[in-house]
Amino acid sequence: MPEIEYKDKKIEVDEDGFIQDPDLWNNDLAEFLARMEGIENMTEDHWKVVNFLRNYYLEFGIAPMIRKLCKETGFTLKYIYELFPSGPAKGACKIAGLPKPTGCV
Amino acid sequence: MSSRLSVAAPSGVSGAEGAAGTGLDLARARELFEKKITRQLVTYFHACAHCGLCNDTCHYYLATGDPRMVPAYKADRFRRVYKRYHDWLGRLVPRWVGAEELSEAVILELADNVFGACTMCRRCTVNCPMGVDMGLLARAARGMLDALGLTPRGLKATVDVHLQTRNNMGISGEDFVDTIEWLEEQLQDEVGDSRARIPLNKKGARMLYTLNPREPKYFPLTILAAAKIMYAAGEDWTLSTNYWDVTNYALFSGNDEAARTIAGWLRDEAVNLGVQEVVMAECGHGYRAFRWEGPNWLKASYPFRVRGFVELMAEYVRDGRIRLDPARNDKPITYHDPCNQARSGGIVQEPRYILHRAAADFREMNPHGVQNFCCGGGGGMLSMTEFAERRIRAGKVKADQIRATGAEVVATSCHNCLDQLMELNKHYKLGVKICNLCEVVAEALVL
Repeated sequence: MPEIEYKDKKIEVDEDGFIQDPDLWNNDLAEFLARMEGIENMTEDHWKVVNFLRNYYLEFGIAPMIRKLCKETGFTLKYIYELFPSGPAKGACKIAGLPKPTGCV
Repeated sequence: MSSRLSVAAPSGVSGAEGAAGTGLDLARARELFEKKITRQLVTYFHACAHCGLCNDTCHYYLATGDPRMVPAYKADRFRRVYKRYHDWLGRLVPRWVGAEELSEAVILELADNVFGACTMCRRCTVNCPMGVDMGLLARAARGMLDALGLTPRGLKATVDVHLQTRNNMGISGEDFVDTIEWLEEQLQDEVGDSRARIPLNKKGARMLYTLNPREPKYFPLTILAAAKIMYAAGEDWTLSTNYWDVTNYALFSGNDEAARTIAGWLRDEAVNLGVQEVVMAECGHGYRAFRWEGPNWLKASYPFRVRGFVELMAEYVRDGRIRLDPARNDKPITYHDPCNQARSGGIVQEPRYILHRAAADFREMNPHGVQNFCCGGGGGMLSMTEFAERRIRAGKVKADQIRATGAEVVATSCHNCLDQLMELNKHYKLGVKICNLCEVVAEALVL
């Protein structure tokens, strides 16, 4: 399993860059993961999406539908795709520390 | 992960650590191996003449130059076991003819090979003068390895989630309906008609449409595009809340039992709704699995027609049921043929027929159609995160093909290809837009 170096710590990620232990997640790590996805600055709107994903996942054990994400954040689909150029799964969910989804992603 | 593609280090295969030196049941493996050796496979084992014509048909070999990536070499990981037990020379002097016993090391190397270094794209198959079907060999080997618990984690999870929840992303019925209703409102806004519908569970509709779970879950704009096209064509269609998933990853895990169950669910729902036709959303493997493999798994033909959405869209255009304005897609555009639709499914002319009418500047990749290169994400590769690095490396062939067209947009008709193409776009800095064919058509629609 590959590792990423972060603040003198080594964190296990899979080959697609998803962290393996969700408990290691924190805001600093999210910013670090965001930079790996080409997002230099996490804006308030980025955080709104990431925090919703994170909390939903902790409560239900699964990533929310994009429909729920739009409804809860009040953002349009287009805006979410703009915020996270790698997409909701490989961008936003990865930064929020969620595991890689099953299926064609 | 070593930077070089390696077939000798099967660390990528889940269960490999546990299996090495411990409890892999070799007697059971042998039993499964014998079960998988059909007459067809035996023919292939005998037919390969090691002529080498398959070398540069394989994107893995072209991207790495590693001789172990040559399809004939990969097929030999399987064939050498066959020789050990079924060839008289292999039985008497195994080393002389390169025959190998079915040992743990041999099994793990085979697993690394057929899961991690072959997308079952069959480009070698159509170029083999002897007709050796590498895709079929790989699937047979995968089936044996699956029964031994050696299917990579992500691929196994995708099949398991599908079997547990009736779709491969575990989407609940409630979430599905909520999403479709939301999209229906958007459709009405977009076409300016409050009577526009995305019908659910409509008995006796002419056609049942299916979806890839990643559409409702993350990328619903393709559902909207498809609904808009169907609205424009005046189609009598429906989605089903009972069963709607177009995919069947058991095609990739090689598990026939699971494949049969999944294909059976869709067949039963189509019968239940009494439709004349099932149309598969833009999904390469789903189309192939249900249309071409399903009747074999189910041992019965369907009492309805099966087509891909690309075929239906082409028919709409041909019959004048939808009108397209190519000026709305004025950027140079190219098309990536999903292997399971073009090479293994026979859909080659339809996307071109559509694109010539939906876009102003359509450019072919070289080669294309039946000879098109795999994007690198086929065979369930995208779900097997263990092999992500190899997948991106092997995708260089496709990235180079795209770049050479000078296109700014790449359309395809497979969600899996789409995701891999998006990764290639990022990694190889292609600077193109990747989209589904139905999005190009929806953009060009004259309502």
